[in-house]
Amino acid sequence: MYVVVSLSLGFFFGFFLERAGFSSAKKLTAQFYFKDFSVLKVMFTAIVIAMLGVAYMATAGWLDMGQVYVPLTFLWPQVAGGLLLGAGFILGGY
Amino acid sequence: MDFQTIPATPESLTIERAEAMAQRQIKKHHVAIILLHWFNATVWLTELATGAALISSPHFRIAPLWYIDIVQGFFGPRAHMLWFHVAIGITWICVFAVYGTFGFRTYLAREVVEREIALDWDDFVWLIVRTLRILGKSDDPLPTQGIYNAGQKLFALMVYAMIPIVMVTGLVMAFHLGGTAAVSWAVVLHFLAVGMVFSGLMIHVYMGAVFPEEKPAFFSMVTGMVNELYAYRHHFKWWKEVKMQELEWKRELEGAGGRAGPGGGSAAATATRELTLDTPTSTRGRGGILRRIFRQPEYWPPYVAGAGLGITLLMTFILMGQGLGASGGFTRYLVALLSWVAPDYVARNPYWSEYAQPGQSPLMNFLVFELIGVVAGGFVSGWLAHRLRISVDKGPHISVRSRYGLALAGGVLTGYGARLARGCTSGLALSGGAVLSAGAWAFMMAVFAAGFIGAYFARRSWI
Repeated sequence: MYVVVSLSLGFFFGFFLERAGFSSAKKLTAQFYFKDFSVLKVMFTAIVIAMLGVAYMATAGWLDMGQVYVPLTFLWPQVAGGLLLGAGFILGGY
Repeated sequence: MDFQTIPATPESLTIERAEAMAQRQIKKHHVAIILLHWFNATVWLTELATGAALISSPHFRIAPLWYIDIVQGFFGPRAHMLWFHVAIGITWICVFAVYGTFGFRTYLAREVVEREIALDWDDFVWLIVRTLRILGKSDDPLPTQGIYNAGQKLFALMVYAMIPIVMVTGLVMAFHLGGTAAVSWAVVLHFLAVGMVFSGLMIHVYMGAVFPEEKPAFFSMVTGMVNELYAYRHHFKWWKEVKMQELEWKRELEGAGGRAGPGGGSAAATATRELTLDTPTSTRGRGGILRRIFRQPEYWPPYVAGAGLGITLLMTFILMGQGLGASGGFTRYLVALLSWVAPDYVARNPYWSEYAQPGQSPLMNFLVFELIGVVAGGFVSGWLAHRLRISVDKGPHISVRSRYGLALAGGVLTGYGARLARGCTSGLALSGGAVLSAGAWAFMMAVFAAGFIGAYFARRSWI
């Protein structure tokens, strides 16, 4: 059951990423040249929807926030990692 | 099959003409309006359902006790239900505010003021005659109607008058604005306004969902289209408007064609124009919608794909208690491989050993299976949309070989950065961002900062 749920969640993740055009390095990097802001739009739409959903479900008592993993903050390593990843992103395309 | 001249008043139709008109679809609603309508419907449904259960005082109670029990059982404590009611209400206000601000000219000024609530003399006559006809006291013909009939306009007028009252009194109650007296008045006004809308809503839902003559109006709220015959019979003035526009457009096309090819071939030109005018309606079938959505090589609009992604992410939080990810899954594959080749090294290394707890395979993890699903989902999506092909994605000014080299270098940086930050764009920026992890947002800013700065140096790869 665990495996099936994981696989299908992954399936939809991959499906929507491809539908958004995230399989194309040119489309992904186009945002950094101010030509195509699909990546930002897709990413922030997803974040806002998931955020509101989690918030509403938590206030309505359907989702126990204590059970949800919130990534821990290690500020400087994460900033450094972000800079490295961003540089790698624009070089490699993904 | 078209009208040579557009009649000023509805005339009786021949059977052939009526059949042809029943086949032709004309556009009634914009997608934005359809979305807003169903969003609004969902909000009213949930707000009415929770609102009715919230009134627990025995003097004002409107819902039966068993209903209140069911709804409260669903939400747990009453405070949760109240929060849910308020949260939905605030979301509703925000969406309306966005529509009202950014769509002021298109939706509020044009759609609402000029079409939805603009009652004219014909509409008053229509209301009177319609009532008399229902009572069986009159056989007078009904005056012709615009895109919305007088009944719909009355409903719209009432709803638009009540919505601000519902919103303001709701906010006053939720946040106790303006003292006790204001709150008590808000309670009464809130009930009154909702009651008014609810009474209209009963007729609205009955007309839309049950009343057989208005079936096309219901489906037009899904597809955006109505058939021409329905428009002709029920909304003649609007039909005339649409026809005039079509005629004007045709004349323009003919004028342009006449100038482009002087003399001769005008009959053939007319024939092709007829064809181009007809094709969009004739190919629009029921199977066509799915095909357009899934089989077209164009990518989905970003907000649609983003909504799908957001819902998937939300489901992942609910079902798995964590977000979606990518780099964590790859790490686990690597640890599995390493502990097969060099188990001692893995056990001694503090980073790897964290993933390879004794007695538990590093592969027994959500991300590991999720990644297989990602590959499958991406493949199916690309395959459906005819996007499968082997190619090197690059700008025109870079060779394939350098592109490979840079991709490798970029991959090394990305991989190292992702593990340093304990997550990649999916696992940290997207999933962590959604649960408001401070580190995730810092990471996201850093990614974009480095991307925009690096873009200048990497420009030859992409543009």
